[in-house]
Amino acid sequence: MIFGITSFVLIVGLSLRLTFGRYLSRLPEENRKFTVKNFKDYIKWVAGWKFSFLKLERWDRCLDYLIAWGRKNYQGWTVWVFYPLALCYVYLALSGMFFAWFVKRGLYGFPLLLHVAAGALFAISLTIVLFIKARVYLPEKLGPRAAAQENQQKGGFWCPLLKKSIARIYLEALAFWVFVVAGFLLALSTLGSMLPYFNYPAQIFFFHVHRWSALASVLAAILALDSIIVEVQAASAGERAEKPSR
Amino acid sequence: MRRQNDRRQESRRITLRSIWHTGLLLVSLAVFILMAVSVSRLLEARSEVSPGQEIKLKAEEKKEWSGSQLSPLHRIPLNDEFNQKIVPAAPNALPFSTRYSCEPCHSYSTISQGTHFNYKNRPAVDRRTEPWFLVDNRTGVQLPISFQKYPGFWSPEQLGLSDWRFVTLFARNLSGGGPGEPSDENQTPDSRWNVSGKLEINCLGCHHKSPLQDHSEWVKQVMRENFRWAATAASGLGEVVGMASRLPATWNIADGPNPDDREWAVVPQVRYNPNLFDSKNNAVLELPPPEDDRCLACHSVSPRTAKSRAEVDRDVHLQAGLKCVDCHRHDLSHEMVRGFEGEKLSRSNLQAQDFTCAGCHLGQKPEKGGKGFAGRLGAPRPAHKGIPKVHFERLACTVCHSGLLPEKEPQPIYTSRANRLGIFGKAVWTSEYPQLVEPVFVREADKKVYPERIMWPAFWAEIKDGELKPVDSQEILAAVPEIFNLKENVASLLNSLIPLAGEGFYPAVIISDCLFEPNVDGSLKARLLEKTPLAAKPGKGKFLLAQLKNGEVRPLLPEFDPDNPPAGVEDKVLSALQNLKPFANGRQPVFLIGKYIYRITEGYLDKAEKGGEPVSTPEICWLAGDEFQPFLSGFQVRNLAAIGSGPEILTEEQVTLALKKLSETKPDRKLAYVASGFVFSLDKNGKLKAGQHRAARAITWPLAHNVRPAQQALGKNGCTDCHSLNSRIFFGKIEASSPLKTSHRDSRLGADLMKTGPLFQFLFGFTFLVRPAFKLVLAACVLVMGLLLLAVIIRMTGRASGISGDSSGPESRS
Repeated sequence: MIFGITSFVLIVGLSLRLTFGRYLSRLPEENRKFTVKNFKDYIKWVAGWKFSFLKLERWDRCLDYLIAWGRKNYQGWTVWVFYPLALCYVYLALSGMFFAWFVKRGLYGFPLLLHVAAGALFAISLTIVLFIKARVYLPEKLGPRAAAQENQQKGGFWCPLLKKSIARIYLEALAFWVFVVAGFLLALSTLGSMLPYFNYPAQIFFFHVHRWSALASVLAAILALDSIIVEVQAASAGERAEKPSR
Repeated sequence: MRRQNDRRQESRRITLRSIWHTGLLLVSLAVFILMAVSVSRLLEARSEVSPGQEIKLKAEEKKEWSGSQLSPLHRIPLNDEFNQKIVPAAPNALPFSTRYSCEPCHSYSTISQGTHFNYKNRPAVDRRTEPWFLVDNRTGVQLPISFQKYPGFWSPEQLGLSDWRFVTLFARNLSGGGPGEPSDENQTPDSRWNVSGKLEINCLGCHHKSPLQDHSEWVKQVMRENFRWAATAASGLGEVVGMASRLPATWNIADGPNPDDREWAVVPQVRYNPNLFDSKNNAVLELPPPEDDRCLACHSVSPRTAKSRAEVDRDVHLQAGLKCVDCHRHDLSHEMVRGFEGEKLSRSNLQAQDFTCAGCHLGQKPEKGGKGFAGRLGAPRPAHKGIPKVHFERLACTVCHSGLLPEKEPQPIYTSRANRLGIFGKAVWTSEYPQLVEPVFVREADKKVYPERIMWPAFWAEIKDGELKPVDSQEILAAVPEIFNLKENVASLLNSLIPLAGEGFYPAVIISDCLFEPNVDGSLKARLLEKTPLAAKPGKGKFLLAQLKNGEVRPLLPEFDPDNPPAGVEDKVLSALQNLKPFANGRQPVFLIGKYIYRITEGYLDKAEKGGEPVSTPEICWLAGDEFQPFLSGFQVRNLAAIGSGPEILTEEQVTLALKKLSETKPDRKLAYVASGFVFSLDKNGKLKAGQHRAARAITWPLAHNVRPAQQALGKNGCTDCHSLNSRIFFGKIEASSPLKTSHRDSRLGADLMKTGPLFQFLFGFTFLVRPAFKLVLAACVLVMGLLLLAVIIRMTGRASGISGDSSGPESRS
């Protein structure tokens, strides 16, 4: 119950916060404030999505978007690591959260079988992604890149409380490392519960580690989607759009 | 001014007076309301009390336990049913009455509400338990009867069984009380309570710690309808002779013994053992909490495959030194703790959840009604290493720890109450029916899986408005006895041929691959022949009369030269033919040998030429007019061949014939036979058809014992104990056992009973083939990820502490 409510609130809250931030970033800098007007406009903006998301064409474009992003950011064979990672993760998150929220018994039956199978592929993919991408998000490398982003005046993360943009690279790194650590805990708790060395209280502990790690992972994935995939692509799309006018 | 003051004072006085009056009125009103409420409550209380009872102040409850752990030696006077003290040496002493002997110290009325006595009013939360089984070995009936209301259980009311009938059927495993003590208004015309006496609660049946206490004696006495004498006889305090069942219905205890009949209708009498009484005629009784043997008299279970008691392991708790009553406790209410999860006791002061598996081994949490401490009675706390928590949410503890270890198919078992175990005497009491099997794993309404016992009901039924109502098997038997008395009739015929058998030999008949010989019950015992010991093996539809002695089999009918018969042979033939006469049905028994025929004419053996072709081997047969009919009819041979040595009682041919004859004799009723999960009835062409009906479905009930040790629990050898492609748990096939030999048999898969679906379990089982590899891969991933994360942490720590310098690695981010 606690997990269900907490996870729902956090996921919905983070999604709203990120979309609200994205909405604010579209506004002129002097209008980027928490005002009732902005909030009402934001609601209208979000509500407008429903029509586009009901169209298959929109989803098709999202998929094309993701595929293109993958090809661009994962060179050569490594793209075949990213795609399974993304695909498995979507199923893992959807099945896990759906059953946690709506089914009292939790995950069971065929969805559970598929969950376990997808989990194995996810663990392998995540390990490889960590191996090839960890160096990108090492803390000492974030400073220069943040400065470069600021120089390029790329859209940062608008923080209304600080009233300034934070370099996106910090969010990217945060999302990446939380996602990796959560994935590590997910794999560890799965392995632990499958080994015949741990008693019932330990099984319960592993179960809780698994589901709270999953929540952290989903939150990180949402943040990554916003800050790494959509933002970078949008930025590069923006660059492409600006070129003809120059 | 003064006037004004006066007026003010006056008005104040008036105001005070009116307030006083109003207050008085209110107080009076309140008193009136209170009195009215009290009176109405009193009247209400009076109306709830049955006539004759008085409203009393709540009496101070008598303390039922002194605080001592010692079970006191009972040196007490025994009273008879007239509340008169028994003098053992007195002639014609009456049996003792527990109601009047125990009541002075232990409230009989309280105890009579206990689990073992108050069958009719079991609490609604009670889990279903093994029903009683109405069994008839001739008509193929095994019908579950219970006072508990569950699908498939027939209540005595539904079957029209009066208390009297219920007690006479099942008193062998009743502890008395309940239906054994019906009130006067509940007595039915078929009852003989005035002769038998009431079946009072047999306190000594459980509590008497004496080597003389004998369950078999109890059974013997209740079968003789000696209800009021049964407890005395079973306790060993006295011997009881006589049978109430043979007394006329008009006999009454006040009539005393009948001096004119000392052989048949002997009035039951008690001869007390004076050594068990002291000089003041007080009985000396040791009455501790019940010993295990007392419980096992009615609650034994054993696999049918076991050939001796030595093959059967006892419950691990008993081996550890516990007694049944250590867990299955009760207080004066005698409401037994059954020990299942969610049990709620309505009369007992005990906390039921303290005595569940979890209650002792894990310490049931206080919010679930327990005390929260594990290790009760020395129970070890289980580790359950490597078992995912879903098992504890979805499975009862007994799934892995109780009952017989699962085989590919559930194993047939005997239980005391169903199959009459634990009754010893000259006769073999154990009955093959009902056929129960265990374990099957069934998901119950609480979504948990329990190990259970299963059986398919078999009974004759009347179809009315699409519903099936069982018909009394005696009614069916009386309508068509020749069909159901198949074995008995053949046994009688064979017994008639004893004069023809050699010394020490007994007649038998070989049909197909089986040898049938008469048994002591007047029926037939069948044995499968490994190889035909006789030169000529009977063909299909044929039979061979044989004689048997200690495994030696010879032809029964003597071969001799009829022109020059040896001395004594013809006398034997005469004797056999005379024996057969009662079964002739208008025909004549004859013996054929060569060209001669032997028959009885005016009481003498007559030998004459038969005419026609001489017979190659001697024959016993029937002469009907000019026609020779075989000794055993085609119906008898066919059906005995079909049944063979199997456990079945009836064939489809018997059922078809019975239904045909019943439809002729009772054309207004539509009858059917229910067995093996199907309803058998006749179609328009008079052929047997099998249909389905919910009343034919299998019934199950949870089992709890015997509990196996942890080392023998399911899962001890790993997940594949249950989860594999050929799992016995999920893919074991449970086929209906039935008294009817038929190809129509209901069968269920374990996965279906658990409602998990065989496909899912197959795929899930398949995953266990790749699990070792899965674990290795996962472990490798965890290791690599862990190392990388560790490297990052070390690097960050190094930088933070200044140990490691700034290093610039290649950036691969694109």
